[in-house]
Amino acid sequence: MTSFPVQVRLLFSRKLLETLRAPAWVLVGLSTPLLYLALFAPLLDPLAGGPGFPRGDVLDVFVPGLLVLMAFGAGMGAGWIVVDELTTGVLERLRVTPASRLALLLGPVLRDVVVFAIPALLVVAIALPFGYRPAPGGIAVALVLLALLTAVVSAWSNALGVLMKETGSLAAIVTGLQLPLTLLSGVLLPLSIAPGWMRVLAHVNPLYYAVEAARDLSSGSILTADVGLGFLVIGALTVATLGWATRVYRVAVA
Amino acid sequence: MNDTWIAAGRGGSDASMPAIVAHGLRKSFAGRGGTVEAVRGVDLTVRAGEIFSLLGPNGAGKTTTLRMLTTLLPIDGGSAHVAGIDVARRPHDVRRRIGYVGQLGGADLAATGRENLILQARLHGLSAKEARRRTGEVAELLALDGFLDRIARTYSGGQRRRLEVALGIVHRPEVLFLDEPTSGLDPQNRANLWDHVRALRETGTTVVLVTHYLEEADALADRVAIVDHGTVVAEGTPRELKQAIAGDAIVVRPKPQTADVERLRERLAREPYVEEARAEGDALRLYVDDGAEALPAVVDRLRADGVALAGIALSEASLDDVFLRRTGRSLRDARPHPDPDGALQEVAA
Repeated sequence: MTSFPVQVRLLFSRKLLETLRAPAWVLVGLSTPLLYLALFAPLLDPLAGGPGFPRGDVLDVFVPGLLVLMAFGAGMGAGWIVVDELTTGVLERLRVTPASRLALLLGPVLRDVVVFAIPALLVVAIALPFGYRPAPGGIAVALVLLALLTAVVSAWSNALGVLMKETGSLAAIVTGLQLPLTLLSGVLLPLSIAPGWMRVLAHVNPLYYAVEAARDLSSGSILTADVGLGFLVIGALTVATLGWATRVYRVAVA
Repeated sequence: MNDTWIAAGRGGSDASMPAIVAHGLRKSFAGRGGTVEAVRGVDLTVRAGEIFSLLGPNGAGKTTTLRMLTTLLPIDGGSAHVAGIDVARRPHDVRRRIGYVGQLGGADLAATGRENLILQARLHGLSAKEARRRTGEVAELLALDGFLDRIARTYSGGQRRRLEVALGIVHRPEVLFLDEPTSGLDPQNRANLWDHVRALRETGTTVVLVTHYLEEADALADRVAIVDHGTVVAEGTPRELKQAIAGDAIVVRPKPQTADVERLRERLAREPYVEEARAEGDALRLYVDDGAEALPAVVDRLRADGVALAGIALSEASLDDVFLRRTGRSLRDARPHPDPDGALQEVAA
């Protein structure tokens, strides 16, 4: 029997090859953060040193939020691909092989993690000449945290795709949640300048913890409560979402 | 090694053991109009090495039965053993021994044929080297050589279907399940695929073929189970099934102005040698014991009644005749399950 790690590697390679053969989507995905950097970040310059932007450059606050946005975006499209694989029977065929159901899920999830991580490194590199000064160790840990976030979103979107079986209802749920989740996490502007009720509401939003942790890490504060909380929330979500999505793959009537 | 493993080994290797035994298989779906019983007590025995066909109209429950046998759908009631293994208890061990080519196909269209085949073989536990070798073998067997390294999206319908069959057999399964394998293929590609399926039987693979084309069941199957409304209504070799109903059929086509078909049907149904007479549009289908004996008598009878003939034909009973006699409907125009939700379930499921 092919071992679990080999199954994961084979299924991941399949998805990665698929991406490499159609790189247009990666470029489209990369254009969003670059547009934010070019056309939104300059608006923040007058706020430097003011409330919400205590640290050096505004980019030190803005780029970590942007990376969270990218982590979410890299995972959320997974459901569309899985619906396509349901209609062409690919998923059904794979489900009749003895391959581990978790491996079937991890193939696309790990691809999404790569599709997040490489553009994320690029964005960090591009932001450097404009004044972004991340702590090297901190930003590396932040990227690990956000890779987990991509895995959570990807597994969630995958499982939703299997359950919904068509893109209409999938789109309603995923894109319907995307805007409130991102707005209520302080990705664009820190929630510390938000009214009290928004800050309270943000605490039910997992993305909020990721943003707070990513900002601390990027500034070099690694051992803070926000970082611990971020890893706790996203780590627990990773375990729960992968478990749930694997179960969906196992019992799926697709 | 644990007991499960030992039992699995024993189950898979015994050639005299049936490839599939199912008792009282049941499956219901919750539909909008209430619960739909898609499969209501299917019994099957498929012998090792034979081509066994589940034949029936769309919505009869064939695909649902197949999906239970291939571990894709949980079994609601009854039991099933595939390659000697209990499907409900050890689905993982069943998956190691079967190949499945679904209605939807299942080829990854963004990858090449070779990548598809190697991945499938590897997931079934073949080593990288074995997977490459087997890919070469099935490519030759199914004539994929010329386009194996092209992206599957560029394949023609026939090429794609052959790749999908190759995906079903690359790991040398004991039992291969084919769900409507020739649907959407032109006659030439269909005949071509039939040859490939026959060649598979030569290698000792048991083939379960779900089809609603009676020609396909007749041409390929060693034995046929006719399925309608979720149950098996007849089972046997195509020959046995045809012999079990009246031996031959005579199709009488009177000239329209010389006879009323319904009156003629009543008239001929009274003849002692006619077992049954059915009107089919402007023609009559008579079931008789011995066609060669009955044909002259029918012609005499019609001439005496002043009926002029546009045509008359003698045919051996077909599987469609078997279906007609068992269900009262022709397979050719049998409508899907009367409950539309049920029909949808079969397509969707």
